[in-house]
Amino acid sequence: MTPALLSALLVSLRVAVVATLLVGVPAIFLGYALARWEFHGKRILSVLVGLPLVLPPTAVGFLLLRLLAVDGPLGRDTLGFDLGLLLTWKAAALAAGLMSLPLVARTARVTFEGVDPRLETMARTLGHRRSATFFRFTLPLAAKGLSAALILGFTRALGEFGATVTVAGNIPGRTRTLASAIFSAQQGGDTRAAGLLMIVALVVGVAAIASAELLAPGRQRTEIR
Amino acid sequence: MRLEVDIRLPLDRFDLEVELKAEGPVTGIFGPSGSGKSSLLETVAGLRRGATGTVRLGDRVWLDSAAGVCLRPEARDVGFVPQDSLLFPHLDVRRNLLAGAGRARRNGGSPEALLGQVCELLELGPLLARDVSSLSGGERRRVALGRALCSGPRLLLLDEPLASLDLPLRRRLLPLLRRLRSELTTPMLLVSHDPIEVQALCDEMIVLRDGVAVARGEPHRLLADPRVFALAEEAFENVLPARHLRREASTSVLRLGEADGGVELITLASSVEIGAEVLVGLPSSEIVLATERPVGLSARNVADQRRGGGDDARRARHRPGQRRLPGDQGDVVPALRRRLKRVRQAPPATGCPGG
Repeated sequence: MTPALLSALLVSLRVAVVATLLVGVPAIFLGYALARWEFHGKRILSVLVGLPLVLPPTAVGFLLLRLLAVDGPLGRDTLGFDLGLLLTWKAAALAAGLMSLPLVARTARVTFEGVDPRLETMARTLGHRRSATFFRFTLPLAAKGLSAALILGFTRALGEFGATVTVAGNIPGRTRTLASAIFSAQQGGDTRAAGLLMIVALVVGVAAIASAELLAPGRQRTEIR
Repeated sequence: MRLEVDIRLPLDRFDLEVELKAEGPVTGIFGPSGSGKSSLLETVAGLRRGATGTVRLGDRVWLDSAAGVCLRPEARDVGFVPQDSLLFPHLDVRRNLLAGAGRARRNGGSPEALLGQVCELLELGPLLARDVSSLSGGERRRVALGRALCSGPRLLLLDEPLASLDLPLRRRLLPLLRRLRSELTTPMLLVSHDPIEVQALCDEMIVLRDGVAVARGEPHRLLADPRVFALAEEAFENVLPARHLRREASTSVLRLGEADGGVELITLASSVEIGAEVLVGLPSSEIVLATERPVGLSARNVADQRRGGGDDARRARHRPGQRRLPGDQGDVVPALRRRLKRVRQAPPATGCPGG
């Protein structure tokens, strides 16, 4: 394994792990809110959460770029200091997280919808408050589906190219991920390197999808009886 | 402890409007499905929004809509046993039973001691390590009951504890429920559409139809009223207290009624010990009426009606101060006779369940 390949793999993993950690909790919360609560603007929120799925990744990246640009709402001119995210792996993680959020939130929503709300009611008649009911009953009951949701989000972040390359660029050793390395190798005509990178991406992807399959809701669904 | 309920709850088809004062150990809520029984139970448990009125247990106020009081379900200290058990699939039996241990502890109880007691009472010991998904229907009911009891409830709410169980399972569960009744001080509210259940378990009951209590009183007496037992959806079965007198060859002799002088009944040999109190189920379909003492019949028992017949017995019921036995034929036979008459008169389309 060449140093360049290794570095691309490590950057990819770092970006994907941080992206998953970043959006995991908010996405699961969003999934729960969409599954269980009725509130004004629920539909709008549902559409917004799904947006990154349908927009071209480069469009999401561009949006993020405008947001973080020097004169953008989160830029130096507005905040008075520089967040220093653009063109670093942190921006890549942010973009990858944003791209994987809808996947995690939607899978989480379906998982929570599969948990019989009457089991939560039961927990409350046994003396548990709402919060205790959520952490001690709802979450464990949804554990498998939520793990699958997070793994799906992780794989999405791992393969993300369009949005990350827009905000973080393609700097070898710093922001060059497996995806952008393959692109560069192919553009540069290095078919062998591109093929090798592709195989590494394949192995990581297969491992992640296989573990998600094992945990997916439906295989051993929470029993609703 | 006295339970006082006076609530109003709008439902889809009608308003549930019930006033109920329960002092006995077990109060029944009897009625056909869709009569609002379960909604009533859920309102008492605090699971229904939109209920107005009051719910009090002893000196605790759970709901007083006029004063703006509505306690959350977790603050009401009820043990709720739903019809479909609703065990937690991610916990084994032991951890299901201890799911409400926190409250038991907060209320000054010891969950471990409670668990031991409940396991013995409901014969749950052998199930403790089992996975919930491996339990049979009857076992699930027992675990659900045990889970409610282990949470140290002040009021037990049972939703059709025996419904949809087959006969052998009922035979096993009913005595356990009767044991709870006699050994616990926790008052119980029991919802049922099954005459057997209410007769065997309840001290008093209210009859609910379209959200309104149409009758209240002692189950045996109420069920002798055709308007009440017509609401039962299953074949009517008389449940009569009896004593096992002796065994003869392949049969047992029981004496119906609580005192001497009742009718003797011959049944298939029972394994119950001699002298034990038992409950005898006598389905209406197993009873034949005759105006004279029949001969040459395959019936195992022939019981002479009180002289004077049903009219006399009917009159006797309204005589104040008279000692009445729940198993007294005066209760059963006129009811059956009226029922037979009703079946004969009923147009085929409306047919009578179990008739």
